[in-house]
Amino acid sequence: MNCRECVDHLYEFLDREVTPDLERDIRQHLVECPPCGEQFDFEAIYLKFLRARCRTQGAPEELKRRVLRELFGE
Amino acid sequence: MAPSTPTPPTPPVPVDAKRESFEREALVHLDALYRVALRLTNNAADADDLVQETMLKAYRAWDQYEKGTNAKGWLLTILRHAFINEYRRRTRHPENVNLDTIEPFAVFGEIQDEDPQGAFFDKIVDDEVLKAIDQLPETFRETLVLSDVEGMSYQEIAKILEIPVGTVKSRLFRARQALQGKLYDYAVSNGYIKGTPA
Repeated sequence: MNCRECVDHLYEFLDREVTPDLERDIRQHLVECPPCGEQFDFEAIYLKFLRARCRTQGAPEELKRRVLRELFGE
Repeated sequence: MAPSTPTPPTPPVPVDAKRESFEREALVHLDALYRVALRLTNNAADADDLVQETMLKAYRAWDQYEKGTNAKGWLLTILRHAFINEYRRRTRHPENVNLDTIEPFAVFGEIQDEDPQGAFFDKIVDDEVLKAIDQLPETFRETLVLSDVEGMSYQEIAKILEIPVGTVKSRLFRARQALQGKLYDYAVSNGYIKGTPA
């Protein structure tokens, strides 16, 4: 596997959406190629950051009450 | 068996059985639906209406849903159809963007010497991230929201958006790179990193 092929699968790998064979090839490349390893680490930090920032918001209480009222007449 | 015993009347289906299963499987996803609605509509009042409408449609169609499968995906599909059919038509038009011309901006290449661990991300607050997501073209935005905000798998996203898994992969790749470029520019313009804005 070369760097280009490895980076093409960057997010699939981080999302755990690759086949076991591909995962093994990528892991091997990352061990052999520190620059790719650093880039994957950076992107993993980025995805973790995105999730932490975007998942906190929930539906307003008023909307919850409104939905229950509409559905069940409460 | 005692033939003389009259058959007891079939107990009526509890009036709240439907409600109970709807609450257990559907209403628990209200927060997720609201987050997606907010990113699609970019507007809190429209997001409220879209979620409300989705829940009404879902409750009416609840018999069609195979209990215990993927309620979140089912609800998001209803929400997206409602958005496309009613809100988008009324409020704005889908962007006429040639997605192929949006070049991914390789942030890592710019930053690997200064901040290879991405410490600058920690300085960017929730609102700024959401604002940057809202600036993405709709096609990118909905894919990114389903993945990074709601944690859906590629297969689930493909089903909701009615596109092949390969298209989910390529859209997600470019959406994340485009968003990263925006966040990088924001971090540079706020002096969190030196860098060179794209």
